[in-house]
Amino acid sequence: MTENLKPENNDQVLEFVQWAVTQKMPLDVRGQGTKLGMGRPVEADHILDLSGLSEITDYQPSELFVTANAGTPMKDIYAALDQQNQQLMFEPPDYGPLLGSAVDQGTLGGLVACNLAGPRRIKAGSARDNCIGFHAVSGRGEMFKSGGKVVKNVTGFDLSKLMTGSYGTLAVMTEATLKVLPSPENTRTVLVRWAKDGDADQLNNQAMTEALVSTNEVSSAAHLPAKIAARSAVAYLNSAGSAVTALRVEGPAPSTAYRCAALKELLSKFGDVEELHTKNSKILWKEIADVSYLAANQERAVWRISVPPTEGAHVVQRILESAEADVMYDWGGGLVWLQIDEVDQASKNLIRGSVAQVGGHATLVRASKQLRQSAIVFQPLDPYMTGITKRVKNGFDPEGILNPGRMYKGI
Amino acid sequence: MQISLQTNPVSLQTNPVSLSDEFLEELRTVVEQRLSTVDAVCFQHGKDESWHESMPPGAVVFAHSTEEVSEIVKICARHKIPVIPYGTGTSLEGHVGAVHGGVCIDLTEMNEILTVNAEDLDVTVQPGVRRKQLNEHLRDTGLFFPIDPGADASLGGMTATRASGTNAVRYGTMRENVLSMVVVMADGRIIRTSSRSKKSSAGYDLTRLFVGSEGTLGVITEITLRLYGIPEAVSAAVCPFPDLESAVNTVITTIQCGIPVARIELMDEVQMKALNAYSKFDYPEQPTLMFEFHGTEAGVKEQSEMVGDIADDNNAGEFQWATKAEERTKLWQGRHDSYYAAMALRPGAKGMATDVCVPISRLAECILETRKDIDEQELLSPIVGHVGDGNFHCCFIMDPDDLDEMARVESVNKRMVMRALEMGGTCTGEHGVGIGKIDYLVAEHGEALSVMRSMKIALDPDNIMNPGKIIKL
Repeated sequence: MTENLKPENNDQVLEFVQWAVTQKMPLDVRGQGTKLGMGRPVEADHILDLSGLSEITDYQPSELFVTANAGTPMKDIYAALDQQNQQLMFEPPDYGPLLGSAVDQGTLGGLVACNLAGPRRIKAGSARDNCIGFHAVSGRGEMFKSGGKVVKNVTGFDLSKLMTGSYGTLAVMTEATLKVLPSPENTRTVLVRWAKDGDADQLNNQAMTEALVSTNEVSSAAHLPAKIAARSAVAYLNSAGSAVTALRVEGPAPSTAYRCAALKELLSKFGDVEELHTKNSKILWKEIADVSYLAANQERAVWRISVPPTEGAHVVQRILESAEADVMYDWGGGLVWLQIDEVDQASKNLIRGSVAQVGGHATLVRASKQLRQSAIVFQPLDPYMTGITKRVKNGFDPEGILNPGRMYKGI
Repeated sequence: MQISLQTNPVSLQTNPVSLSDEFLEELRTVVEQRLSTVDAVCFQHGKDESWHESMPPGAVVFAHSTEEVSEIVKICARHKIPVIPYGTGTSLEGHVGAVHGGVCIDLTEMNEILTVNAEDLDVTVQPGVRRKQLNEHLRDTGLFFPIDPGADASLGGMTATRASGTNAVRYGTMRENVLSMVVVMADGRIIRTSSRSKKSSAGYDLTRLFVGSEGTLGVITEITLRLYGIPEAVSAAVCPFPDLESAVNTVITTIQCGIPVARIELMDEVQMKALNAYSKFDYPEQPTLMFEFHGTEAGVKEQSEMVGDIADDNNAGEFQWATKAEERTKLWQGRHDSYYAAMALRPGAKGMATDVCVPISRLAECILETRKDIDEQELLSPIVGHVGDGNFHCCFIMDPDDLDEMARVESVNKRMVMRALEMGGTCTGEHGVGIGKIDYLVAEHGEALSVMRSMKIALDPDNIMNPGKIIKL
C-alpha cells in the first residue's frame, strides 16, 4: 500500500527522511511526477511528495539568480522572471506532452534532478551548468547545502553538479539556485530548405557546423527532416515540403540583423534560405525544446541519443538501415531524438551498438513501464563504473532509501 | 567561529612517510631514471606560488603516460603511500604540498596536444600542456581556449583546481569547459569520465566531481576541452573612474543589460600604481576598469557604445582603446602579471592573494570596507577583481618573518572572509581550498563536509590521493 508523505517545510522533509532511514523504508521522491516516465520505475512503498514546497524564496533580478523550493512549479518561476524580462539561459524543455501528461506541470526539483536542457544547450549549458547551489537532505538524514548564490566558487567538491542529473537517488533537494540572464531583445532564425529530404544527410550536418564555427554567435542549430518539419505550427516549416535546418541568433536588434544576413549568405549554397522573426522563432524553438513533434504515437518508444555533433547523422544512417524511425536533430547534430516501435532486444542492440561506435550514449526516454523495468534505460556502465556509482550512492544514501532503482537496477 | 590561520606552515607537514629502498626500486621499474629523491627537486615540488612553505615529497617521478601513472599509483596504493599530482606548481593555497610526504607525480612531460576536433569544437590534451601552448597550437585553426588564470598554468592543474580567469563572464570557468577526462583512480584503475559528446547523462557526473577536486580523488591524465571560434572582432579599453562605487556600478548595469562583455576587470589605485611601474604604462592611478569585447564587427561596436554610455552615466574618465592585437596583448599581460607587479612594490617580500566572491550588489561595499581595514592596519595590499563575477583579490605584500605584520594580515583576511560569508558570498571564487582555506570551508559549508568526506572515502578509501587538502579526514 503506497502512502503519500507530503512535507510542508524543510524540517518536515528532514523528519520524513530520518524516519525512512531508521525504518529502512524506500521513498519514491517526486515533485509533480511529470517525469516519472523517465528512468526506471522506483521500487518504493512510500511517496515523498515535494509539491508542497513551492515558494520562490529569493529572486534578485540585479544579482542574476533565482532560488526556489524544489516543488515550485516552473511556470511560477517563468512568470516571475518574465516580469523582469529575464530568463533561464538553458531553456528548460517541458517534456509533459512527450511523456504523456499535460503541459506546464513540471517543478524546479524535477528539472534539476533530470538535468534537462533545451536547444540553447550548445551555448548556455544544461541545468547542471546553471545550478549554482542547493539545499538538500541526504540519505543519511542530514541537511546540507553546497555552492551558493555567486557564480564562482571553488569550495571543495562541486556537489551541485553531482546532484544535478542524479534523479533524486542521492539526496532530497529542498531548494536550488539557478543563474538567470536578461532575455535577448531580439531573436531571429535562419532556415535552410533542402532540395532533397534527408533523414541522415551529411550536408545538413556540414551546414550546422559551418554556422556554429562562424563568428555569428549561433545559439542553437537543429535539423528537421521533411516529415518532422510538416508537424510544426510555423507556416513556413509545415508548408516547406522538405527538410529544414534552423539556426538561431539572439541579441540586440542591429547585431542580430547583421549576423542573420551573414548567415544567410554563408548558407545560401546549401538551399533556399529564409528567416523567421521573434514570434515565429519562439514557437519553433519551443517545439524543438519540448520535442513536441514526437509526442504523438505514445505507444512508440522515444530515445535520446547524445554523440559528438559530427557523428549524429552517421549514427542515424546506421540505425535507419535496419529499422523505421522518426528522427530529429538538435545541438548542431549532437542530440538525436528517435521515435521507434517499442524496442525489442535487437533494436536496442542496434541503437546502443551504433552509438557506442562513436563514443556517445543513448537513453530510453519514453517506453512502457514493463520495458523500463526490464531494459537498461540509461547507457549501461562497465563493471568498474558500476562499482564507483554504487560507492557514490552509498556515500550519500547508505540504506538505499532514495529512489532505489530509478537509474540502475539495484542502485 | 574560531578560525586559525597557520602562520608557521612548516609545522603543517606531519609525520612524512619514509620511502623504503624497495619501494623506490619498484617505482623505478616503471619510470626508470625518471625518479628523483634529490632534496632540491623535492623541495621545489612541495611548493606552489603562494606564501605557504614547501612541504617536500619523499620522491618525485616524471610520468610519460597514463599507463605509467596507473602503475605508479598501483604501487603507491599497495604500500598506502600518498600521491600528489603536480603540474606547473602555480596554485595559491598550498595545493601541492606533501602534507604527509609521499610521491609527487610530475606531469609536465606529458605535454602533448592529442587531437583537435575543429568541427566538434573540442580538443584533447595531456595534463602537462600549458594554456598558452594550447592557444599557440590552435592559432591556425581559428579556435581558442578562453580560460586564463594569471599564471601560464597546466591544463591538468587548471582542471584539478577548477580554475577561472578574466573571461569567465562570457565563457565560464573550467567547470563549464571540461567535456571529459581520463583519470587514474586511487587504486590505479584508468577511467574515462564521459564521452566526447557534449551531453553527459550516463550515470552520475563524475567529470564535474573531478573538476576542482584538487588531486584528492585521482590523477587527471587526459582532458577534453571545449573550444571557441576566435571572434571576428576584438576590442579592449581601459577607463579610469573617480571612485570605486562608480566603477562597480558601471559593471552592475553592464551585466544587467545583458551585454556579453568578454572581460571586465577592476584594478584599484594601488594596483594601477604597481601596474604602471612593472609593465611601463602611464595610466591614471585611480580605480580603473579594463574591458574586452568579442564578436562580429557590428556586435563589438554595439557593445562598446552601450558600455561607453553606461560608464559616462557613472562619471567615467576617458576610454583608452586598444584595438591592435599587440596593444591588447600588452594590456592583458599587464593584468595577468598583477601578482608579480604587486610583489615588485616591495622587493624581497612575499605575496598572499585572497579570493572572496560576493553578490555583485555588495561588491563595492565589501571592497571598500576591506580597503579601510587594510589601511587602518597599515598593510600594503593592492586589490584586483574579476568584477563581473563579484570576485576580487587582495594581494598582501608582506614579510612572513614579521610575526606582527603576519598577525595583522591574518586578522584583515579573516574579517574579509567573514564579511563575504555574511553577504552571501564564498571564501574562494577561484583559488580553491588546498591547505590554506580548510578552516574557512568549515565556516562556509559545515554540514556539506560530511557528504564531501563520504565522497572522498568512496573513491579513495585509503586516503592516499593528495591527503590533507580540502577536507581533513
